[in-house]
Amino acid sequence: MTTPSPAISTRDLTKRYGGTTAVDGLTFEVPSGVIYGFLGPNGAGKTTTMRMLAGLVEPTNGDGFVAGTHCTERRRLVDHIGLLPEEPPLYGELTAREQLQFAADLRDIPWEQVQERALGLAESLDLIDDLDRRVDGFSKGMKQKTAFVQAVQHDPDVVFLDEPTSGLDPRAARTLRELIVELAAADTTVFLSTHILPVVEEIADRVGVLYDGSLVSEGSPAELTAAAGGDGEANLEDAFLELTDEPAVAWG
Amino acid sequence: MTHTLSRSTLRDAWTLTRTELRTYVRHVTGETRQLVGVGFMVLAFGILFPLTFIGSAVAFGEALATGPVPLGAAGVAFVVVLSVASYVGAAGGLNQERVGQIGPLVRTSIPPLAVSLGRFANRSLQALAIFVPATLVMLGGVAVGAGGLGAPLLVAVAVVPLFAVGLVGGRIVGDILRYANERLQVSLWIKAVLTIGLMVVIFVGTQLLLNSQYEGGGAYGTVISGSVLPGQPLQAFASVVFTPLGADVRPLGLVVAGTTLVAIPIGLVVAMRLETRMLVRDLGSDAAGATQSHGVPHLFEVVPSARVAWRYLLRTRRDPRMLAHLSPLLFGAMGMAGSVVQDPGIALSLGPAAAVIAGAVLAGGAYGLNPLGDDRDQLPLLLTSTPSVGIVLRGRMIAGIVLGLVVAVGIGAPLGLVEHSPAYVLGQSVLAVFLATVSTGIAVGLGAVVPKFERREYMSVERAHPSQWAMMGFFFGGLVVGAIGFVLLWATLSGESILVVALGWLTYVAVLGLAAGGGYRYAVSRMDAFTLDDV
Repeated sequence: MTTPSPAISTRDLTKRYGGTTAVDGLTFEVPSGVIYGFLGPNGAGKTTTMRMLAGLVEPTNGDGFVAGTHCTERRRLVDHIGLLPEEPPLYGELTAREQLQFAADLRDIPWEQVQERALGLAESLDLIDDLDRRVDGFSKGMKQKTAFVQAVQHDPDVVFLDEPTSGLDPRAARTLRELIVELAAADTTVFLSTHILPVVEEIADRVGVLYDGSLVSEGSPAELTAAAGGDGEANLEDAFLELTDEPAVAWG
Repeated sequence: MTHTLSRSTLRDAWTLTRTELRTYVRHVTGETRQLVGVGFMVLAFGILFPLTFIGSAVAFGEALATGPVPLGAAGVAFVVVLSVASYVGAAGGLNQERVGQIGPLVRTSIPPLAVSLGRFANRSLQALAIFVPATLVMLGGVAVGAGGLGAPLLVAVAVVPLFAVGLVGGRIVGDILRYANERLQVSLWIKAVLTIGLMVVIFVGTQLLLNSQYEGGGAYGTVISGSVLPGQPLQAFASVVFTPLGADVRPLGLVVAGTTLVAIPIGLVVAMRLETRMLVRDLGSDAAGATQSHGVPHLFEVVPSARVAWRYLLRTRRDPRMLAHLSPLLFGAMGMAGSVVQDPGIALSLGPAAAVIAGAVLAGGAYGLNPLGDDRDQLPLLLTSTPSVGIVLRGRMIAGIVLGLVVAVGIGAPLGLVEHSPAYVLGQSVLAVFLATVSTGIAVGLGAVVPKFERREYMSVERAHPSQWAMMGFFFGGLVVGAIGFVLLWATLSGESILVVALGWLTYVAVLGLAAGGGYRYAVSRMDAFTLDDV
């Protein structure tokens, strides 16, 4: 019996900008079909890591593999990934439907092939009635919903989500969390970067905490919170604060 | 909200001026290309261009020192100063960079009047970087001619208020145009048509005016030439300034001088009030509320890149500002319109060729000169969705060809049929298709050499516009290449030596084909290797 290859793996992944090290020798693995919560304070290197793994920036050192493809091989990488960056990459002059069709065109996937899934997601996110409105008239939350559908409508192996609930109202945020769980249940690996710790605590299978470019802790939310509070009442937020205050803490 | 001028407002304005200037200097010095560009601008327009008139400046100085004061020449020089300052002022008023970002800031922290003043001062100081050296060069010439510093000092005394009044006057005009543009509740296309119409009316009107003066038009021309065009009021103004050199003061000159001095502060107040009002008002969105989604027409369904092309065309239909960078092409067309005014026959003789060349330049210039640069915000989508950005580049090229052919064939062919044979029109149309196609390949290659990602205001549109050098090179290059094509077409149809004509076409097609193919391949390889680190 062979061990299934991880959906994401990095080895000594490093990114430097001049004299500044944004990501410092990151080594971790994300098994297939899990939700991986990627946490860290502002400027810790989360977005840079995500960009490297998605092929948007090149590592200075080290390697990153997504679905078995090296992160610098963008030509092959795109077949496996979906990305929702912090700023939704949408064209304001298009309607949401046209935007989704355009994204399918870019991948050379017939709209008919992804339509059912895309419209189903839009229905779940209460976006269906606004699909024929121009994106530049959308609120931040509606843009976020459109960009989420765009990122996952082609059923990628790995989806990178950077602050996906940003700008969403509580109901939409909950729906999105449920959709993320459904994605993972359907064997899509979700790499989730967010500051909203309760979300990670609720849905993530594993959590990595990045501090100053280095991975200072990794484990399940339960493992992290258990190690943080001796009295058993600590939560992920306590663990996060402790880790990012004293990065030398080691988890077993 | 009060807009009173207090000491603290002035201090805030000065702080903003310094900050914006510092930001600008850092931006320029931080990138070699920017530094070279600005250095070239200052060298070309601040020193070299004025040097071409240095002989006139020396002669003017000699005349001031030896004979009766040359009021005619002074009037012309002052008209130039006033025109340049007005242009700079109008451009500053019309192109208010980053107003959208500054709006919320001024509502919560800095007094709006300070912002208006600060930005005006910043823009004016930037203009002085070219105007001051240019003026010093000319004043140097006057000093050499006059053999002393008295005459150039008097010229400087005259130039300063004229420059100032031109600057604030132009600023008001620019502000009013910007205000009208923002308040007009019509579609963006109607605004575009109105803007073009206004520019054509101004340009052609000026041509007619000049025509009437220089070619001895009727009574209207006589009236105009006697009062405005040769700078008559400014000649009178010169008579006041050069009184120490023996000029006889004309009463009109006193009026002009007085009006000028009064107009500067009043104009400044008016301009600042206008800009302050515009800073703090609520702007409506240009986005249409309800829209209908449009599927891809059958014609564009053949290949994925054609579907991408359709999206670019659709976006342009909804927002013509995507083509704002093509306005220099419009200025070129207005030059043609001016010639047509003087000689209407040109419309039929040169019109078809002009349409073909304009269409070809439009094909490449529309979407090709800044490939992916103007998609900056969507790069995370484009770079993670396609194995190669070639599909996007080809989409841009196809969209450009469609637009270009509307002009090159859609206008060029019917115009051609009026004066030329069907064979000529057929040849012209084939040439149009070829030029439009190669134009797109060359454009994306050129655009890939100098991609521009930073947003800037141009013609009141804030986008990542293509590099100015790429645009100018492409536009003028297109003119030359198009003209060569028409010479070959003429040679072909007029029965010149078959060997020479065939060799000519072979070279022409091969060179342009290679340039286009090479440009496309270069753009694909450059953009495929592109990462967000390059932005």
